[in-house]
Amino acid sequence: MRLSILFALLALLALAIETAVPYWFPLRVLVPNLIVILAVDLGLRHHGALPALLAFLMGYATDAFAGTTLGLNAMLVTIVYLVAYAISSRLMVTTAFVGAVTVFFGVMLTTVGGMALSSGWAAVSASGPMVTRFAEQAAVSAVASPLIFALLGALKRLTGLPVGSTRE
Amino acid sequence: MKGSFLWRNRVILTGGALIVFSLYLMTAGVGHGDRIAAPTRGILEVLRPVQSAAASFSEGVRSVYRDYINLVHVRQENERLVAELARVRADRARMAELEEENRHLSELLELREALGVDAIAANVIGSDATGLSHTLILGQGTASGLGPGMAVLSNEGVVGRIIAASPHASRVLLIDDHNSALDGFDQRSRARGIVAGMVDDGIIMKYVDRSQDIKPHDTIVTSGLDGIFPRGLLVGTVSSVHREGPGLFLNVQLAPAVNFRQLEQVLVVRQQAPQVTADRKG
Repeated sequence: MRLSILFALLALLALAIETAVPYWFPLRVLVPNLIVILAVDLGLRHHGALPALLAFLMGYATDAFAGTTLGLNAMLVTIVYLVAYAISSRLMVTTAFVGAVTVFFGVMLTTVGGMALSSGWAAVSASGPMVTRFAEQAAVSAVASPLIFALLGALKRLTGLPVGSTRE
Repeated sequence: MKGSFLWRNRVILTGGALIVFSLYLMTAGVGHGDRIAAPTRGILEVLRPVQSAAASFSEGVRSVYRDYINLVHVRQENERLVAELARVRADRARMAELEEENRHLSELLELREALGVDAIAANVIGSDATGLSHTLILGQGTASGLGPGMAVLSNEGVVGRIIAASPHASRVLLIDDHNSALDGFDQRSRARGIVAGMVDDGIIMKYVDRSQDIKPHDTIVTSGLDGIFPRGLLVGTVSSVHREGPGLFLNVQLAPAVNFRQLEQVLVVRQQAPQVTADRKG
């Protein structure tokens, strides 16, 4: 329950930041994809049906503010969660580096994949600069992710949640 | 229960189910206005105050930024205007200077015409290097026809004579230098004497007979007998006459007509006219 409340609040905060920051910060590419980072954290450290549902809901909430296709981000964020979960299940330890790499590919998946699903693969092939921007944002997100993971860990400790991998 | 297939694969199964549900949402053409999308509208509503606050904040930040940019522009404009004002002031000062110079030159021209002599205007470019002597440096020299012994005048009166000249500069010995001497007389009483400088500044009129009628405020002009200065040029006025004490001559103190420290342009007489008839004051 605490995990649900924490991630619900964090997801709302992340969406507020991601929707508000571009108003006064024109370089959107430098704003990390916080929803994906949250989903990766869930996938790496919280294994269960509830974290999977939380990831889905975070994507679903993103759909409220992004694009026109309802369910697109819900699916993509769920996939990110599953990928992170799969990585975590096969590694002995999940370091910040593993998290950052996962975030990078997670952002690439949600952006490039979202573009491919909503506009077709041909659109992705024809839009090199856009993919470059996606890669840049993925890199920024990956760089920022260790700090955000650390903040999440602190919040979890504060709320009495386990910081390491858990099965729920 | 915990060892069952469903439990062991609950994450994959849950995720898979959610992905299928997402695909359904996507492929069923569910719009944001549909009933199933009501939660998204709820999320929008929940975040609206936050976004409003964020928008207000960002607008405030942008406003401050715009104000700052405007302030920078205003400051730049202010700096430009200040520079412009300084330039205009400098121009105005230069114009005033040119006007003053023009006035001086006009007066010198009038003087030259009145004297009827071959004279040219020259600029004062310096003064004595040590201060021990009273000399000036002119910006014209032999290349302009100037040479030693030539009289130097101003519109106020006699300045001195050239003692040295190079092609483009000349040195003028002022009449208040203790080595200077010129022949002059009292315009009222016609009493003659030698006007000379003193070591401790000021000029005196020497060799004036004690019987001569000479009084304070009398005007002393050049006699023209020294062969350097034209006749009738203003030298100064008598400031004091001392008759007491022994000796053959009067002790006559003069106040020079020219302020030697404020000279900027002078007139150099290159060739003295044979005779200047009228006594000229200034």
